[in-house]
Amino acid sequence: MRCDSLVRMFLILALMVGGFACAKQTVPPQPGFGAGTGGPSEGLGTGGPGGAGGAGLDDARWRELGIGSEQEKQEFLAKSQKFENEDIYFDYDAYVLSEPAKRILDEKVAFIKRYPKAKVTIEGHCDERGTTEYNLALGERRANSALQYISNSGVNRTNLTTISYGKERPAATGHDEAAWAKNRRDHFVLNH
Amino acid sequence: MLLKKRLIVWWNCLLIVGAITLVWGETVSAQRVYIDITQPSFERIPIAIPDFKRQTAEQTQLARDMGETLANDLDYSGLFRPLDPKGFLEDPQAMGLTAADIKFPDWRRLGADFLARGAYQVQGPTLKIEGRLFDVVGSRMVFGKVYEGETRNWRLMIHRFADEILYALTGERGVFDTKIAYVQAQGKGKEIYVVDFDGSNPVQVTRDNSLNLSPAWNSNGTQLAYVSYKEGGTKVYAVNLMDGAQRLICGYPGLNISPAWRPGSNELAVTLSKDGNPNIYLISSSGEIIQKLVQGFSINVSPGWSPDGKRLAYVSDETGNPQVYVFDVASGQKRRVTFSGNYNTAPSWSPKGDWIAYTSLVGGRHNIAIIRPDGSDARQLTHGEGSNEDPTWSPDGRMLAFSSTREGGSAIWILQTNGTGARRLTRSGSGQELPDWSPRASGR
Repeated sequence: MRCDSLVRMFLILALMVGGFACAKQTVPPQPGFGAGTGGPSEGLGTGGPGGAGGAGLDDARWRELGIGSEQEKQEFLAKSQKFENEDIYFDYDAYVLSEPAKRILDEKVAFIKRYPKAKVTIEGHCDERGTTEYNLALGERRANSALQYISNSGVNRTNLTTISYGKERPAATGHDEAAWAKNRRDHFVLNH
Repeated sequence: MLLKKRLIVWWNCLLIVGAITLVWGETVSAQRVYIDITQPSFERIPIAIPDFKRQTAEQTQLARDMGETLANDLDYSGLFRPLDPKGFLEDPQAMGLTAADIKFPDWRRLGADFLARGAYQVQGPTLKIEGRLFDVVGSRMVFGKVYEGETRNWRLMIHRFADEILYALTGERGVFDTKIAYVQAQGKGKEIYVVDFDGSNPVQVTRDNSLNLSPAWNSNGTQLAYVSYKEGGTKVYAVNLMDGAQRLICGYPGLNISPAWRPGSNELAVTLSKDGNPNIYLISSSGEIIQKLVQGFSINVSPGWSPDGKRLAYVSDETGNPQVYVFDVASGQKRRVTFSGNYNTAPSWSPKGDWIAYTSLVGGRHNIAIIRPDGSDARQLTHGEGSNEDPTWSPDGRMLAFSSTREGGSAIWILQTNGTGARRLTRSGSGQELPDWSPRASGR
């Protein structure tokens, strides 16, 4: 009698389970965001209005700024709070400076001229509309617009830096024009 | 570290499962293509997938989990319509495994064209799965295979079985062993994650509480390039998924963003603004500039390579608003591709080279659209279901993953390129964006 053609045979290859050599390096610890000194979002103003209080500045930094007397310190703190709290705003998908923005920048220029040793970061931000990468480029354009204006006003750029956060760090969390308008901005941070 | 272990498991398991073969007395050649999926009249193939048959007493819940995973895979491929097991007549634990034991007329009456039948044995850490595909109409077996590996890697073995079914019936490989990298908002930061094609097994890749953006797979799937603020401004890094090691690729002054590995090479296209304007450069994997690609006085970002690595699609606002362009590396010629609307961004070139997917602002909402690389035949695939952004192609070119706010917070969704079969990939939470689809891990 013929064998049934449905006879089946299994061929199972032996496995090499456990025979794999794996690199056992560990991931190097990374510094946390803003954990290092001079983190981009760290400034006198963090912690809210009135948060400066001189607490973040030691004697060496006061000397660096050329500030000695208590009165001068208080004046600096008041001005720096205003400096950091006043943003400039942009139209949708634009980086042209408006007239109100230029007036605010004139005040920034006056501050920087008064305190030429102050180190300033200009942060460019966008609203949530639009894709991440394009907004990173647009945010840089906005920061550069302010940088250009300030340096054209006779300020040395040495102590000015820019960073773009695109749409990653909104100031207002809503999803309407009121929120978007607040997020299309340059924010100014003093690094001390 | 957890990430390292889990990703290593992924890669090693591919080797393990890949080592399996089969010999069946009645095996029909798997080369035969049963169904031509390119026909416009194509309808999803009805397939029955009973619970797998337990042959040992361990891990009994896998009987159902395996059946469901296989059904999900085939459903997600867009080519199959798994039947509801509630209608099945036989107890899957009593039902037979061979053609001689299968009651084909019953399955025909249920409307199944095919039947996927599985059985498994667990012996501690080791799992063996027998998978067979039957042609219900022809009352015969199409193929049978045995998969053996570590029990904890059962999903990958099922994905391999699903891939074999797809290949036997359509002549095309599936994408069941692929992964999707994405960005997850977490606390004040954003971290890179990697998740399986079916939404299971999310693994956190970065863990530094900074902003990590724009993950991009290299062409053999062993590394992700990404943008991070962890050392201040934007810089481009790479993480090696084999060992978890992270390294800096480039950190020039200004922007270092939108990395895209050139297919089949170790080079990347990135946007750098070190000379003032954000331009697109070709760099080596260690960050040396090889060539300036796209330059000008406008924003130039988001390069996406053609599959042959000879051209790239990118975004420029040289007309005053962002549009998609194509740049030819050899000639240096650039050509505008999108003309409709005033905000077209995030281009991604299809793996077969025939389409460019992008994000298009239509009626105040971002939507996913596709267009031919010559600028013809634009088609909108989403229609205002929330904001839909940053499309990325599956390696078979049949699906797009993208971020969508259609259920409120941003999540990763997958859509067939014919606009059907939308499913949510990231199963829980929100704040998920910027997906990038891996190549096939098996390199096929």
